[in-house]
Amino acid sequence: METTLTFAQPGPLTQLRRCLAADVLKLKHTPALWLTLGSGALPVLLFGLIFFFKGQFLLKPGENPWPAYILQSWQTATGLLLPLFVVLLSSLVLHTENKAMAWKHLYAQPLSRAAVFGSKLLVLLGLNLLAQVAYAVLLVASGWLLGLLRPALHFADFAAPLGAVVPLLWHTFVATLGILALQYVAALWWRSFAAPVAVGMACTIAALTLMRWDYIDWVPYAAPLLSLKAVGKGLAVGWALSTSGLLALGWAAATLLLGYVLLGFRHEGAAR
Amino acid sequence: MKTNSLLVETRALSFGFGPRPVLQQLDLQVPAGSIFGFLGPNGAGKSTTLRLLLGLLPAPAGTVHLFGHDLARHRRAVLGQVGALIEMPSLYDHLSGRENLEATRRLRGLPAGRTADVLATVGLSADAHRPAREYSLGMRQRLGLALALLPDPQLLILDEPTNGLDPTGIIEMRALLQTLQRQHGKTILLSSHLISEIERVATHVGVLQQGRLAFQGSVAELQRRQQGHAQVVIDTEDAARCQLLLPVDLGGAAVLGPGRLGLPYHSPEQMAYLAQQLVLAGQPVYALHCQQPSLEQAFLHLTEPALA
Repeated sequence: METTLTFAQPGPLTQLRRCLAADVLKLKHTPALWLTLGSGALPVLLFGLIFFFKGQFLLKPGENPWPAYILQSWQTATGLLLPLFVVLLSSLVLHTENKAMAWKHLYAQPLSRAAVFGSKLLVLLGLNLLAQVAYAVLLVASGWLLGLLRPALHFADFAAPLGAVVPLLWHTFVATLGILALQYVAALWWRSFAAPVAVGMACTIAALTLMRWDYIDWVPYAAPLLSLKAVGKGLAVGWALSTSGLLALGWAAATLLLGYVLLGFRHEGAAR
Repeated sequence: MKTNSLLVETRALSFGFGPRPVLQQLDLQVPAGSIFGFLGPNGAGKSTTLRLLLGLLPAPAGTVHLFGHDLARHRRAVLGQVGALIEMPSLYDHLSGRENLEATRRLRGLPAGRTADVLATVGLSADAHRPAREYSLGMRQRLGLALALLPDPQLLILDEPTNGLDPTGIIEMRALLQTLQRQHGKTILLSSHLISEIERVATHVGVLQQGRLAFQGSVAELQRRQQGHAQVVIDTEDAARCQLLLPVDLGGAAVLGPGRLGLPYHSPEQMAYLAQQLVLAGQPVYALHCQQPSLEQAFLHLTEPALA
């Protein structure tokens, strides 16, 4: 029997697009999606309630309340919540494949390893960005709401600092990339949920403990909090990345490159 | 076997986990259009072989050719023509049956209609909306088969596809595999520990024993090879009395039951002679026939030395 074989293969971008389409579908009903949406909303809800009930003690009378509101909320979110969110998110996204023992199925498809690697990375980056944008939007919206519900706090008397929030978002997002890359590669290598989460949590706590260390800029888990260094007086924020931001980018690039090479040695030998 | 008719061919394929060899110099040959039953005791290396055929494991020594093309060089092109179910099906429990198929359909860039087609083929159309976590073991297995069938592949690689299926499910799976082979010209490489299953569907068999092929060829060829293990079975009234009356001819026979004797088959003349002697001794002969070894017995004969 003659067998014909078509060697027409989809290009790298088509493969990536196909992987991405499948990965987006797999997100449906997953904790990763709920975590993303919840992580944007929860800190805003908590901070909104704090300001609603105790705002008069947290703001100086007669002053623009927006810088204090934004900065205090952002500081809380970036110090602990954001690194932990990235740690959890990367493990949850990959856990979908681990739980289904789907790696063997995935790598038996006519797709390149790069497409699989790139697609999941893009999903993670997208969810990370979505959570942070949702947080920023909800934070501004909550300020407006406080202006309506608690006029005495004077939120409605001043314009929302949208010009500062966008570059602040840029700094924070870049700052999370080092953690995201490290956690992504760790979760791909270990193929377990618990191990990378445990390491990620330990690193986050260690980073907070080492905040006064001379070389803290080199610690990627500290980068989100350090991104607030970009904020000047009166919530003036430029676009230029700080040292910790640049180092976070460096960590991301190096980890992803090295991780991709190392993961080439990981094979589907056992039941996965 | 002609080399150009081989859909799967490994040459001197070896593999080991660390220092422990799993496969040694494996020359597997799966003819196009066959249902190739891949047999072997647990731990013989069947699943490892199938993983090597799909490029899930790198081959440190030897080569794998699918459709006549080197897997190492043309992995993506040849895998486009292969559907596989390896061990337990890879299912996303939070997605419905249809969504599970949809995920793989998107991965492969297949037409939208394929999902409904394969759901109908495996008889899951009515349950397609239910989350996979609600599926029984048999339904999961059928959904796994649907995933393998999705690209309408020329080659199906199925690792223990009847696992978890009830008797009806096994019969349906068998019929489906035969339909795929006979009517759609698919080549099916099927591993199973259920020898009776392989016997019913396979046109060719490969027997793996401690990482080496103890046999490969057609089922008929295997049975011919086992001619030496054929036996004469005599159904009479009293097996012990027959042995007592004919000690030279039946003294060494195995008593298979109160009225049943078995002894090695040599020739048709031997059977005629035995019938004559039993009648002369006044013993009734209810039946006298030559029993060919089943695939199960052939398998046991092939793997016996290592099991001993």
